[in-house]
Parts: sequence; structure tokens; C-alpha cells
Amino acid sequence: MAESVDFENLVAGYYAPLYQFAFSLTRDEADSCDLVQQTFSIWARKGHQLRDATKVKTWLFTTLHREFLSARRKQTRWPHVELEHAAAELPVVAPATVNRLDAAQVLTALAQLDEVFQAPVALFYLQDYSYNEIADILEVPLGTVKSRLARGLGRLHEMLTGEKIETSKPTNL
Amino acid sequence: MNHDETKTILLLYRHGPADAEDPQIAGALALAKHDPELAGWLAAHCARQFVIGEKFRQITAPAGLKEQIISEQAASEIMIFWRPKFALAAAVAVILLFGTLAVFWFPHRAQDDTLAIYQNQMAGVALRGYAMDLMTNDPATIRAYLAQNHAPADFVLSAKLKQAALTGCAVESWQGVKVSMICFHTGQTSAANEASDLWLFVVDRAAMKDAPAGASPQLSKVNRLITATWTQGDKLYLLGTAGDEQTIRQYL
Repeated sequence: MAESVDFENLVAGYYAPLYQFAFSLTRDEADSCDLVQQTFSIWARKGHQLRDATKVKTWLFTTLHREFLSARRKQTRWPHVELEHAAAELPVVAPATVNRLDAAQVLTALAQLDEVFQAPVALFYLQDYSYNEIADILEVPLGTVKSRLARGLGRLHEMLTGEKIETSKPTNL
Repeated sequence: MNHDETKTILLLYRHGPADAEDPQIAGALALAKHDPELAGWLAAHCARQFVIGEKFRQITAPAGLKEQIISEQAASEIMIFWRPKFALAAAVAVILLFGTLAVFWFPHRAQDDTLAIYQNQMAGVALRGYAMDLMTNDPATIRAYLAQNHAPADFVLSAKLKQAALTGCAVESWQGVKVSMICFHTGQTSAANEASDLWLFVVDRAAMKDAPAGASPQLSKVNRLITATWTQGDKLYLLGTAGDEQTIRQYL
């Protein structure tokens, strides 16, 4: 079914959102371009294995995320800064002034999150994916996605506003 | 449910009907409706969510990325027709073409063992993340490792390349032939924490049907690398780095 997808149309349709996701993860233009190219290269070789054409978008995002994790394992090119070390550098932004943040500052804040929270939070903001779709892309259970989102968004909220929401109490999220 | 618990749930709420269908979020929204403090917090939160989402969506892909993906795919000749559904039809078509047009087809057929594709793939190895098999600055150790792994080890380095800082090597594969990848760090085009930024690929010349004849390096831009390609003896050399022609000429 998925073989009916034309490669050029596929690239035209998805290269931009894939790049946004890649850049959210790497914060580096060259690395993001490589991830997007590699994703489409894998599609060209393996995309025919996908039976359900409606899953193309999820397949592409999942593949990009896998490639990111794989590259990250091979080399530490995207340094991770612990929250405790970087918190002092982050601006505390009142809701009324959040507009003054630029994209780089938002991505810097995202980068301060623990690695497991970054991808779900980026997808949460980027594509307005449902929680089920984010779970499919990241290949983790729905409950895990909600839990990571709650914690990741909580940290982000704390960094950007200075308001700490106590999330330690067990919740179904 | 106290305020913090409610806020924790509402953190996941994006304005719109989809998230509001989640039972927990729906419950938290109902609470916020009747609690002025929560309602104020939610309004500010939604405004912030929207702005942050906008910042993410402002990320734009560099010009030419789409075209580069499509052209690279064409170059690698991984064609849509090889997918299973079309395999039989493609095979029949190829046999027919082969039988009737062989004389004309052979000299002009597209090959996947061409220099252009080799350059592209090796540049991809350098750019898309690789793991060095061996990290050392000792040339003798590198040659011994490559020889042990049946990759070209008797390569010749220019006097300038000999002065560049070696960082290690890896054995790559091209059309079933071993390729030696020798890594250097010049510090010119990379961050200090990057292992290498100059790469020399060495393969048997016989593996490339259109290997350049001369020992004079041919410069070309491949992906985001500037490359120099030349043959010497029975070896084909490909040197690549980020930067421009002036950068790479320093090592030729």
C-alpha cells in the first residue's frame, strides 16, 4: 500500500516538519539535514515494507528518532548539559513576556531537559500530535508518553516561569 | 485533586478539542472552570503553550534541502520500481530491454560503481556519524590494523597530510570491497570536541570503473564536503573536509 507514495511528493510533504523535529533534538543545522536525508534514504530502501500508507508520517518520524538515538550512541556530538548546571543561565519569563523569547531560547530550554523528555516535548509542540501518535513515533507505551510529557513539560514550565509544580505525587498521567 | 495535581494534568492540555477528550484532562478542565485561580493559571498557560509552539514551528529548513535529498536519492539509484509489487514487471521489462537493446544499452547503462556515487557515500559516512574502529595517532598501528582487516594499508600520504594530526581509522565497505578510512583532526573546520574533520578514503582503483586516470587531484563539492580525488599506483584516494578549496589544498 505504501509503495504508491511517490518519493518526491513524500520529500516535499515531510522534509520541513522532519527538519523541525531534527533541529529540536540536535540544535545543529548540519546534523539536522543529515538526519532528514538519512531518514528519506532509509525510506527509499525499506519504505515498501510499510503496509499501511496512513502510517507514513509516523514511520518517518520514528525512523528519524531512531537515527538520532543511534548517532548519539556512536558519538557525543550533541553535548547534554545537566539542568542543575544550566538553570542559572535560563531566563525566568512571566507569561506576559513569553512572546519575547525567540526560538533559540525555547530550544535552549528544551535542551536542558533530560534526554528522554526532549523528543516527546518537541513532538507535543511541533506537530500537535495526539498522545497516541507520539507514543507510536517514540515506540513507548501511551502511559510512558504521558508521564514523560508531564515531567518534561513541568520542568520546561518551571524553567520558563519559575513556578514549580509538585509532580511527585503518583498520578495516572 | 489539589491544585498542583490539576496543574500537572493541565500541563498536557493544548487548546483544542482533541486533548480535551482525554478523561483526566476533561476532569481537570472542569475543575478549572469553577476555580478562578486555576482558570487564570490555565489561561496564562494556554497562551504560553501557543507561543512556545509557534517558536518551534518557526524553525525552517535550509534552502535546497529538499532538492538535495531528491538528487542524492536519484544518484544512489535506489528506485521505486524495485519495490516488490513492481519487481516482476520490472524484471520482465529489463529482460526485454536486455534482449533487444543490449548493444546500445551496455555502453550507456547506469552503474552503481561509479566515482560519483562512491564520493557521495563516503561523504555521507563522514558527515552522518561514524564510529572509528581504532582511535590512535600512531600511523604504524593504523596501517597494521587496516592490513589485518584486509583493507588498503599500503597507501601513500602527501607530505602535508603526514603533518596532520591522525586520530584513527575505520574500515568501510564499497560494492563488497574494503575501503580504508583514515581520520585526521585539523581543528580548522570542527569544534574541539569533534574527533576528526579531515578524512582520507583509500580503495583499490579497480573497484571504480571511472576512476580518474591522473595523479593530479580533482576537486569537487560533494554534499557539504570539499573533496579531492586522485589515483596513485593501484589505489584511488578521496580526501574530504568541510570548508573550501583553499582548505583542502593545504593537505595535497
